[in-house]
Amino acid sequence: MMKELAVKASKLKKEYSSISQRVVALKEIDIEIKKGEFVAIMGPSGAGKTTFLNLIGCLDRPTSGKLDILGCDPAKSNEEKLCRIRIEKIGFVFEDFFLISFLNVLENVQLPLIFAKKFKNNINPETLLKRVGLDHRLTHFPNELSGGELQRVAVARALANDPEVLLADEPTGNLDSRNAQELFTLFRDLNREKGLTIVVATHNIRLGYSADRVIHLNDGKIEKDERLVRENGR
Amino acid sequence: MKFFVLAYKNLKRRKSRSFLTIGGVAVAVAVLVCLLGFNAGYQEALTSDIDKMGYQVVVTAKGCPYEAATMILNGEAGLKFIDEDIYKQITSDPDIDKITPLLAQLAYDPEKMEGKGGFTNYLGIEESYMPLKPNVEIIKGEWFSGNDVNEAILGYDAAESEQKSVGDKISIPGKDITFTIVGIFNRTGSQEDGTVFLPLKTTQRVFDIQGKLTGIGIKLKQIEKISEFEDRLYPIASIQVISMSQVKGTILNLVNSAKILIMSVAFIAIFVAIIGVINTILMSVFERTQEIGIMKAIGASRLDIFQLIWMETLIVCTLGGIFGSMIAFFGGNMVELLVRNVMPYAPGGKLLLITPELLLFSFLGVIIVGIISGLYPAFKAASMRPIEVIRSGE
Repeated sequence: MMKELAVKASKLKKEYSSISQRVVALKEIDIEIKKGEFVAIMGPSGAGKTTFLNLIGCLDRPTSGKLDILGCDPAKSNEEKLCRIRIEKIGFVFEDFFLISFLNVLENVQLPLIFAKKFKNNINPETLLKRVGLDHRLTHFPNELSGGELQRVAVARALANDPEVLLADEPTGNLDSRNAQELFTLFRDLNREKGLTIVVATHNIRLGYSADRVIHLNDGKIEKDERLVRENGR
Repeated sequence: MKFFVLAYKNLKRRKSRSFLTIGGVAVAVAVLVCLLGFNAGYQEALTSDIDKMGYQVVVTAKGCPYEAATMILNGEAGLKFIDEDIYKQITSDPDIDKITPLLAQLAYDPEKMEGKGGFTNYLGIEESYMPLKPNVEIIKGEWFSGNDVNEAILGYDAAESEQKSVGDKISIPGKDITFTIVGIFNRTGSQEDGTVFLPLKTTQRVFDIQGKLTGIGIKLKQIEKISEFEDRLYPIASIQVISMSQVKGTILNLVNSAKILIMSVAFIAIFVAIIGVINTILMSVFERTQEIGIMKAIGASRLDIFQLIWMETLIVCTLGGIFGSMIAFFGGNMVELLVRNVMPYAPGGKLLLITPELLLFSFLGVIIVGIISGLYPAFKAASMRPIEVIRSGE
C-alpha cells in the first residue's frame, strides 16, 4: 500500500554558527516519513535529534537541502507561513512540558484553539483531556500536577489543533519509567486510533523500539533506519 | 477564552506589580483631570464671583493693585483708607449709574473656629449698597433702623456659623459694644456670606476712623466709558481705580502662570507613567521569553503575540484611566481644599469642574497613550523566535 509522505527530506543540512564556532548539526540527511507512521529518532546527545524535530516542526529553517512537510517547504515560507503550518498541521510535545503556568489544565489545552482562530468542530479540549485520563484535573494548575500528568496535558494540548503530525522531543526525559511507558502507550494508541503520524526523539532504547520504525542519528548523520515488523502492537 | 482573558490572567499573576503600574497611570490621569478641571472651574467660579459682586469698578487707596484686587474679592475692599470727601466728589460724575461707599475692617476673634481663632470681616455699608447687589436680599429681618445704630446684618454663613438669628446680640472682640442682629442676607456664594455688615457711620465710630472709607463700589452706565472715567479720576492722587475685568485678568494671569508650572508637572507625571508602563510590560515580556516561545511553537503568530502583549498594556492603561478618573472625581474635593490654601484668591463655588467630557477626554487620552506605549514591548515580544526557547530548554 502506497502511503502519502508526511515528511520528505533530501540532503537536509542544518548549521549553527556563532562567533567562536560553527556546528553542523545535520549533515545532508535523507529521510522520508509516511503518513500514519510512528517513528522514533534515537541517538546520543548532540546527534541532531532536536534539530531534526525543529526543522520538521517548522520551528527552524534548514541551511540547505530540500524539505517537504505535508506539502509545504519551510525554506520557502516566511515566518507567518511557518506559523500557519505549525498551528494547522503540527502538534509539539517537549521534554520540559512547557505548559503555561498561569493557566489551568483546560485553559492550557484551549490555548492552541485561540491561536488557530478557525475552530475545528470535532475538537473538544475536555474530550482530549478525558482521552489522556485527566478529566478530573481540568481546573488544576500545572504546579499541582505530577510530571506524568503534566506531559499528558502537553499531549492533549498538542492534539488540540487536530494535527496531522505529532512531534515529541525527549518527552520522557523528565518522567519515571512507569509514566514514560504510559506515555508511549498513549502515543501508540493515538497512532492506531487516528492514524496520527508521530515522530519521537528519545534516548530510551526500550521505548524507542516500541515505535514502528527507529531512525538512529549520530553526529548529524543517519546511522541506521530500522523498520520493525510486529504482529500486534507492543 | 480570548486574548483578553489571557492578557488579564497574566497581569493577575503579578498582582503587586500590575497594581503599582496601574496606580502610576491612575495618579497621572487624576492629576491631569484635576488640573484641567481646575482650570475650567476656577475661571468659571471667578467670573461668577465677579459678576455677583455687582461693582464694575472699585476705587481704593493707592497701593499694590494685586493686593487690592484680592482684598476686594475677599470682601475687604482694601484696608488702606481714602477720605469720605472723595466719595462725595465723584458721586456727581455723569457716567456713574450706581455708587456706594464701603468701609471694611477685620477683627481677630480668639473664639472663632471652635477656639482656634480667626478673623471676622466687618463691612460698613449704606443703603446704596443694595441696588449694586441685585442678588443680595434680606431673607430674615430688615435693614438697619438708622445711619448710626448698634445693629448688624449677618451674611448667611456668618449667621450659620455663629448660630445667631434676628434679635440675638453679637459683639466685636476688643470693643465694648454689643450689636443687635436685625437682618440676615441670603446666601450668595461669594466671600461676603461670611461678613458682618454694619451701618457705615457705626463702623467709623466703633473702629474710630471718622470720615474714612476703604473703597467705593461703582457701576457705570456704560462699561465702555471706563477709561474716560478713569482719566477724570486720575488727578486725585491718593486713589486708584480698579475695574473688575482688570481684576479678573490679573488673577487669571497669576493663575495661568501657576497653571503652566503645574501642567509641566502633570506632563512629567504622565511621561513617568508611560515609562513605567513600558518598563513593566517589557520586563514581563523578557521574563516570559520562554512562555512566548512556547506559544509561538504551538502556533501563535507574530500578530497573536503582538495582540496579546498590546492587550496587556491596554488593560493596564484602561484600568489606570478608570481608577484615575475615580480618584479625580472623588478626591477632587481634597485637591480643592489644598488649592484654596495656596491660591492668591480662591473664588466661592466649586473650583474643580470635572465634567463628563473632561473625564472622557482624559480617558481617551490614556488609552491612546496605552496604545502607543504598548507598541514597543509588543513588537519586542512578537519578534522572539521560538527556536531559541526550545533550544534553551534543551
